[in-house]
Amino acid sequence: MKGIRTVSPFMLAAAVMMIAIAPSPRLLAQPATTQLSSASNNSHTAQWSVQVKTVDPGDASISASFQIAIYESLLDQLSKTKKFTQVFRDGERTASDNVANLLILRTTVEKYTPGSETQRAVTTVSGATKLTVRSQLCTQDGQVLFDRTVHGEVLFMGSNLRATHNLARNVAKTIKQSALPAPSISALAQNGQL
Amino acid sequence: MNVAATLVGDRSFRIPRSAMMVLILLLGSTAGLFAKKGSGTANSTVVFTARATHLLGFEGARKNSTGTLSIQHGVLRFQKGSDPAVQVTIDSVQDVFLGDESKQVGGLPMTVGKAAVPFGGGRVVSLFAHKKYDVLSMEYVATDGGVHGAIFELSSGQGRRLRDELTALGVHASSNDERKQSKMEVSNERN
Repeated sequence: MKGIRTVSPFMLAAAVMMIAIAPSPRLLAQPATTQLSSASNNSHTAQWSVQVKTVDPGDASISASFQIAIYESLLDQLSKTKKFTQVFRDGERTASDNVANLLILRTTVEKYTPGSETQRAVTTVSGATKLTVRSQLCTQDGQVLFDRTVHGEVLFMGSNLRATHNLARNVAKTIKQSALPAPSISALAQNGQL
Repeated sequence: MNVAATLVGDRSFRIPRSAMMVLILLLGSTAGLFAKKGSGTANSTVVFTARATHLLGFEGARKNSTGTLSIQHGVLRFQKGSDPAVQVTIDSVQDVFLGDESKQVGGLPMTVGKAAVPFGGGRVVSLFAHKKYDVLSMEYVATDGGVHGAIFELSSGQGRRLRDELTALGVHASSNDERKQSKMEVSNERN
């Protein structure tokens, strides 16, 4: 009994502390509702699908491996954003035949500075691989909805091809942060979403 | 039988042990050669095989995985260890490009080691710790019409061999300039 008497005030204090620290049910519910509201905000952009076109080298003398790496990384990173219902490859027949609310991502290389991994390892300050591209999201009738210049680079560690990964990540991030207009009602109806 | 046995027995006393060892090694290597020839006749359809690192893009294969890249039965196959092989038909390959890349060897442990060397000694190591590789990029079209790109890293010289084999099988190999030209022509046609 003595033991219980000494312990019980501590238990009581702990219980009071727990009640004080524990968030109210309203507070607990708040993040869920904000998530729902943000999901509903993004719902109209999620109805777009995107087709990634192969990379246009523009005037830059960029190697084929870099172009392919940018293209593949873009497909990978755009799928990760979950901003689009579907991500199609260039030439995919299902995209052109069945999808009405389709955006086309065109990527044009504006500037390419080839670097050297050895130079980076030896000097630290030089030998960076830098890429600058222009990304455009267009509708099938040619209307440009998104037009940005995005950079990607490897400054210190990693292979030269890592610049393409960084670039694609930046492009996907920029697209994710941008507010795309909702697809037209006719397009949705055509696609059977209404 | 007895004569031979005695002869061998007589000689065994005269031949030094080291020479016997060399003889055994020679016999072993000859047997190995014969065995290799035997397997070669069995896999006569294998046109090319080499160790390669898949950097990205070959559908179904893991990124940065090292395995065997081979051309056989009209397909380009990549297999990593005991994993199931991933392959595309040679007919679906649209274009191949060959490049080269110089990479630092040793990976992360080497980088950490270099950083730990005092007075910037690691930088001197970096000057010599690099290796040239062939980078073979290709574009192929899947059955749904989608364009895929794949990049493989092969030891120096192997990339050229693979490109030549693919070219012999009818695949178009182009340089960057040609690619640029064709892209420009396509865009002009669109306009």
